Amino acid sequence: MAALDGIRIIDLSMGWAGPLATRHLADMGADVIKIESCERFDWWRSWEATPQWIEDDGAEKSTAFNTVNRNKRNVTLDLEDPEGRELLLRLVETANAVVENYSGDVLPRLGLGYETFRHRREDIILLSMPAFGSTGPWAKFRAYGSTVEQASGLPHLNGDDRYPPTMLHVAYGDAVGGLNGAAALLTALRHQARTGEGQFVDLSQVEAMFPLEIHGILHTAASGANPPRTGNVVQHCAPHGVYPCLGEDQWLLVQVGNEDQWQALQQRVGHELAGFGDLADRLQRCEALDEAVSNWTSRQRAEDAMRELQQAGVPAAATVQGSQLLDDPHLRARGFWQWRDRAVVGRQPNPSAPWRIDGHRAAIHHPAPTLGEHNTEVLSEILGLDAEELERLTQSGVIGNRPRMPGTR
Amino acid sequence: MAEGALEGIRVVDIGGTIATGYCGKLFADYGAEVINLEPADGFATRHLGPFLADSSSALHAYLNTGKKSVVPVSTSDAEHLVAGAALVLDGDVPHPLAEHCSGVLCSIRWYGEGPYGTFSGTDAQMFAFNGMLRSIGVPEGPPIIPTGYQAQVVGGVTAYIASLTEVLGRELGNASGPTVIETSIFEAMLCFTDVGVVSSFNSGIVVPRLGINRYPPTYPLGVFPCRDGWLGVTVLTPTQWHAFCALLGLDDLAHIDLFQTSVGRLQAVDMIEPMFCEKLLEHAAEDLFYRGQAARIPLARVPTMEELFGVDQFLARHAFAEARLPGGSVLTVPTTPFRLFATPPHFGGDVASLGEHTAEFL
Repeated sequence: MAALDGIRIIDLSMGWAGPLATRHLADMGADVIKIESCERFDWWRSWEATPQWIEDDGAEKSTAFNTVNRNKRNVTLDLEDPEGRELLLRLVETANAVVENYSGDVLPRLGLGYETFRHRREDIILLSMPAFGSTGPWAKFRAYGSTVEQASGLPHLNGDDRYPPTMLHVAYGDAVGGLNGAAALLTALRHQARTGEGQFVDLSQVEAMFPLEIHGILHTAASGANPPRTGNVVQHCAPHGVYPCLGEDQWLLVQVGNEDQWQALQQRVGHELAGFGDLADRLQRCEALDEAVSNWTSRQRAEDAMRELQQAGVPAAATVQGSQLLDDPHLRARGFWQWRDRAVVGRQPNPSAPWRIDGHRAAIHHPAPTLGEHNTEVLSEILGLDAEELERLTQSGVIGNRPRMPGTR
Repeated sequence: MAEGALEGIRVVDIGGTIATGYCGKLFADYGAEVINLEPADGFATRHLGPFLADSSSALHAYLNTGKKSVVPVSTSDAEHLVAGAALVLDGDVPHPLAEHCSGVLCSIRWYGEGPYGTFSGTDAQMFAFNGMLRSIGVPEGPPIIPTGYQAQVVGGVTAYIASLTEVLGRELGNASGPTVIETSIFEAMLCFTDVGVVSSFNSGIVVPRLGINRYPPTYPLGVFPCRDGWLGVTVLTPTQWHAFCALLGLDDLAHIDLFQTSVGRLQAVDMIEPMFCEKLLEHAAEDLFYRGQAARIPLARVPTMEELFGVDQFLARHAFAEARLPGGSVLTVPTTPFRLFATPPHFGGDVASLGEHTAEFL
């Protein structure tokens, strides 16, 4: 039995943040029912749909969609149709929580919202996760994960003054929002389990970035000044940098944080580092120090140097390309990638939940569902619809399992 | 004040790391009783900067509002406290007390058991290993190291998800008995790149490092100077591109065929970028931000840390509160980013001095 067996989540979220939040709960046993519609499908399937894309089964080929939606069930309901909305509300009656990350005006336009859901199930939880939070003057402002990173101010803490404030991107704010969404939902579920009370839960994805930039926030709170942008140079470590290795675009991260590590590095590198003294001396001559370290690393294979330095107690890491991670020996030994067959795209690697419980991985029972894959299963088993009703709903376009271009119902 | 959502849960932190501290902080913010079981010289976080004028750690203060601090007098006292906790948080190196946990034990480790298990981990290493570090910076290198404790915070939230799930599972009757959760910060940091890894597997495409803030396929994207500050730009769809051109008076660019997709615009970056950068410098960032958002373009004002505390939206939402330190210092710290309306989190609070609650528990 999984920890969250018996918990049901109605997932109206799309893109990355919301679906990542519910992925964590699905991995731990919650019944997550993802709602899309044939015209308003998850935009992570595509934001540039064309008739040809539909013809080519493009909706089922999105790596992004498939990676964050495993272990969920999928139902299509046209929420712009009163019958679709009523079916949604009947599903809400059977659920513990609803999750949404639409723009601020979408649910009200559909006549849906926390009060509507609560009217149908008094102890319902609604998690809403707009970029700037659902209160305040910017509540309805739009953002992608990159916008969230920008609006948090984090870019002012990375890089150096020769360049603009430096983003880490990969839609950084999305995954951070997703983690916090899962945390928020679990907190509310615990209160619901103990007291029988539901509630509205508001997550600001931008504010979720603040803990990640806490070093900068606290620097300013304590000193009254902005932290300087010093690139790879820090005041508590030297050497501290990313150094070139043998091969094209191969790099080694080295961070020497104390004198034991410095002596271990000196021993490995030898005479090139002989003339450098304590931390103050090394910081004062950090350009020469970096050059000396680079002279050594440029004769090494990054992975070999990483292992040699780590064995000696020196923090070091080779910089890897994303594609190499499928073959990473550590992840492989830990069974991190779970390979599953998925309709249309075939065998795919799936990242596990990033924890092990009593030595075991949370299982991936089901790859990401296809559009409307569980219409019959969910609508008949949970809501008791019969074959005739399902056929009528399919004919009228309220449900379906193929995407449609907008306005073609 | 309403009862906290996590009322009745006792958490004992024996790890004393930033990751266990942040995980415990989320529990404390929502009403769990969180006890730091500290060694005689205190958790390592008490000795990490930045520091306040009275030499106390601002970082420790942020992580520890609303928690209790106990310095055990004897081993048996410590074992007893650990044995009575619903959740025990441990760090990278297993603490001898961990074996006395009779509930949920959550270890937050840099790598976790395996070939890298003995590596000396750092936040920056997590970016090296998850593939992000390689992509940040100018093409000729070196890559730029992300600053701070970002990976440990991500590890802390991730551990919160795993451990609260297990605690809840017990309350729901879905689990019982001692359980050990091992959270790997390395694996937690793959949440940023797992989609990219699978994409590379399917497409065979490996994206090289193209420059500061240059991340294909989205373009324009980045942080650009305006007359008086920085504007964050992300333009993805054709509609957003048209609106962005209209905002800057660059209507001639709006409907050029090549520029209707991000990939096409990226091909012409050397032509497009000087044109819109020149226009951006004519305007105030604040003005473009509001006008852009009104036109449904996801623009952002990119505040410095000093500016962050005064942003209207964050003020309206009480995104910052006060941490009160034992010596009387007061520090402005962020509040919990998720808000349960019926059971709101604590905003800021008191920071315990070392061993302040020892007598209460031992």
